Amino acid sequence: MKDRITETGAKNRLDRFDFTGETAVRVEGVDLYYGDFQALKKIDMTVKKHEITAMIGPSGCGKSTLLKTLNRMNDLVEGCRVEGKITVGGRDIYAKDTDLSALRKNVGMVFQKPNPFPMSVYDNVAYAPRTFGVKKKDLLDEIVERSLKQAAMWDELKDRLKKSALGLSGGQQQRLCIARALSVRPQVLLMDEPTSALDPISTGKIEELCEELKQDVTIVIVTHNMQQAARISDKTGFFLLGELIEFGETEEMFTSPKRPETERYITGRFG
Amino acid sequence: MDNTLQKTQNGKRRINVSKGKEKTVGALFFVCAGLSVVAVFGIIAYILYASVPAFREYGFFQMLFGAKWNTERGEYGLLTMLVNTLVVTFGALLIGGTIGVFTAIFLVFWCPDRFHLRYEGKNRALRRIARAVNAINLRTVFDQVIKLLSGIPSVIFGYFGVSVICAMIKGMDVYGIGKGPLASALVLAIMIVPTIASLSKNALEAVPQSYFEGALALGNTKAQAVFRVVFPAARSGVVSALILGVGRAVGETMAVAMVSGGRVFFPEGLFTPVRTLTTNIAIEFADAGHAWDDPLRSALFASGFVLLLLALVVNLSLNLVPKEYKGKKGTKQLRGQGGEAVYRKKGLVPEILKYAAFFMAALVVAVLISIILFILINGIPHLSWSFLFGPSDFSHPSLLPAFISTGYVILISLAIALPVGIGAAIFLVEYAKPGSKLVKVIRTFVDTLAGVPSIVFGLFGNLFFCKIFGDTYSVVAGSFTMALIILPTIIRSTEESLIAVPASLREASYGLGAGKARTIFKVVLPSAFPGIATAAILAIGRIVGESAALIYTSGMLVTTEGSAVNPMNMGATLTVFLYMCWAEPNSYLGFNQAYATAVVLLLCTLILNFAVYLIQRRVQKKQKR
Ligand SMILES: Nc1ncnc2c1ncn2[C@@H]1O[C@H](COP(=O)(O)OP(=O)(O)OP(=O)(O)O)[C@@H](O)[C@H]1O
Ligand SMILES: [Mg+2]
Repeated sequence: MKDRITETGAKNRLDRFDFTGETAVRVEGVDLYYGDFQALKKIDMTVKKHEITAMIGPSGCGKSTLLKTLNRMNDLVEGCRVEGKITVGGRDIYAKDTDLSALRKNVGMVFQKPNPFPMSVYDNVAYAPRTFGVKKKDLLDEIVERSLKQAAMWDELKDRLKKSALGLSGGQQQRLCIARALSVRPQVLLMDEPTSALDPISTGKIEELCEELKQDVTIVIVTHNMQQAARISDKTGFFLLGELIEFGETEEMFTSPKRPETERYITGRFG
Repeated sequence: MDNTLQKTQNGKRRINVSKGKEKTVGALFFVCAGLSVVAVFGIIAYILYASVPAFREYGFFQMLFGAKWNTERGEYGLLTMLVNTLVVTFGALLIGGTIGVFTAIFLVFWCPDRFHLRYEGKNRALRRIARAVNAINLRTVFDQVIKLLSGIPSVIFGYFGVSVICAMIKGMDVYGIGKGPLASALVLAIMIVPTIASLSKNALEAVPQSYFEGALALGNTKAQAVFRVVFPAARSGVVSALILGVGRAVGETMAVAMVSGGRVFFPEGLFTPVRTLTTNIAIEFADAGHAWDDPLRSALFASGFVLLLLALVVNLSLNLVPKEYKGKKGTKQLRGQGGEAVYRKKGLVPEILKYAAFFMAALVVAVLISIILFILINGIPHLSWSFLFGPSDFSHPSLLPAFISTGYVILISLAIALPVGIGAAIFLVEYAKPGSKLVKVIRTFVDTLAGVPSIVFGLFGNLFFCKIFGDTYSVVAGSFTMALIILPTIIRSTEESLIAVPASLREASYGLGAGKARTIFKVVLPSAFPGIATAAILAIGRIVGESAALIYTSGMLVTTEGSAVNPMNMGATLTVFLYMCWAEPNSYLGFNQAYATAVVLLLCTLILNFAVYLIQRRVQKKQKR
């Protein structure tokens, strides 16, 4: 089964993103300002397809900010200004004619605090397909089943589909949010400290999940947990005061960091 | 009662060892809090007691389900009125609910903060104007529009209904009059919009921002996120808002009396004259005898009793609204078998709803502006010094006695309700165990009291306070009645401001060795002062705007020989005066005087609203610092 994006009629068109190449996301010389305050400084970064890219750095260094520029959630912040170029699936997402719906369908997001909607489990997962016009019951059923399976929750939840999602445990809620994000088959999944509100067991489950999901989606994850970054990511970027200090293979970064700041941070000497 | 006091005094908050004096103070606060409970039971009991002769003679169910009401033939069936009340309320809910909810949605999600006028030219005056316009905070303005609409006395809506709404719709009426269910529903709709809009707004604002962001991150447009996630998440609050709107509509009297037509028919069309439970009382009461077992009088109290029951049911149904989504029972069987998912950009319906919200909000502003203009244009030409403050007699009625009566009512009822209300709030917040059964019960009764229709208060005041104060209508009796009406508002807002006082302040005072009562009076109350002042001003607004409760307690006397009013005598307040211009017109008292009075009332409303605004702005500024 392959989902298709129709291009019938200009109004119904979902812009086609091209994820056939090696690169999923490319960030080139990005500066970001909140009013007068510069939160990101000349960031260059390339996210490769089917890799997990981790972003680490002390609090307030701009990790979440960069993550939110990738699906333009920063648009919600008044006075936020982005300069430079960000391409997702080959398209400049800050171009004037960008279709935000299409962008965010392709670039899903999981938040720090689980935020399931106050609906049933089923309706949570079926929510996004419905808003994209999928009406047929059996099709929705299949999407729900597929997404929950992808998020490794199917067995836990298949008998509770009509129950309120708010009644799930925190870890379950977060994985449900992942399933919800997966429902429209995004190519990229952004995760902002997805396990910081969870217990170690739930955290482990989500880390496992990330490894499995790699085959289908490209993951960019922000984390404060150095071990987590080391365990699951292929590439790591280290941020400090709005700058990307070092970016490269995770193993290399954790064994022989090139920059002294990185080393100090990783060994826990500041931050 | 001793028990609870004991418990709380041994609780954490208490630090000083109990002294006799402290105990007395606590008991006093408890009595204040208990008064609401007593009031609710008292009202129910008294109204029921006065309806007994009618119920006994015609039977409760015959009255409730008898359709015939003919005072000459001694038929007192209330069913027609009950049905009319329900029909008119339903219509008001349909119209006012839609407008109110959509207005709230506009306010929370789409109301821009400011204008963005650009003027680059050289004209300095224009540039200054542009800057001034851009400095206006639109959200505040809109909030004030809604507050103003809720502060306008209901009789003014009645005049607006008679003169504007009926005139607008009478083209559709074969008799060319326009009164009836439609006009009533429209007027009521306007009146319940502020309640529904402001409460729905609170509900929408309480929805976590994370729902909204979550929906956007899934590719929703803003309109989709608002209408498919945020609004459904606020549904319990919105339903509560609608229920309170219904409560307001069910109990509204004067405005409906003016536009409903007043005849005891079932609604056979949009324009047949109808009579609701409330208007039944308003229309017939003057003709009823004074004896306890006078059949008409008793039947009218029975009408009030049925109305009270209806209001109680509406109020209690608030508790049935589920607070959180619970999910459904059973398991879901999926039968999903493939196919190809085709994702399209959708969202036409939310987009349409968004423009509906814009439209409704504009409509609310337009209605408010037209009410104000209507009053000003018709009223200002008839304002004169002698009408406002001249001596008043039958052929030259002036507002002076009404001003004095209104002043008395404000003073006396605040003098009663403020101490009692503040005392009750202190008991609920400072003495009772938070979240205890007792607190819940008292709060329920306070809310119930707030939901009692004002004409029922009028009936109760007529039975109870008029009896006490010399068996006649008097300003004092009206004031006591008003004290009951404003009590819930004062309790509630004092409570809120007491809760907002940080615990650290209390602890500091205890730490210095101060006792509980001293801490409350010297530390807690002063910092809750702005909230209490706001409550008092809101209460004044309620008093100024009230008519139904005062007509049967303080009476409808316009003229006084000379102009000094004795509070032990009858006296019409401003709003009652306004109602009399319609209800008992003569060649000296009619629409012209009414519009002029309405201008004065409108001005009062504006001033009171502005005062509240100033207080709240100061509080907010302080909090920011
Ligand atoms: N909406 C905003 N308006 C103004 N400044 C902001 C806003 N959001 C973030 N900032 C500022 O931008 C900088 C980067 O914030 P960001 O949230 O990206 O940090 P972070 O690396 O995610 O930190 P944390 O690890 O604590 O989540 C901080 O200095 C923060 O104060
Ligand atoms: Mg962050």
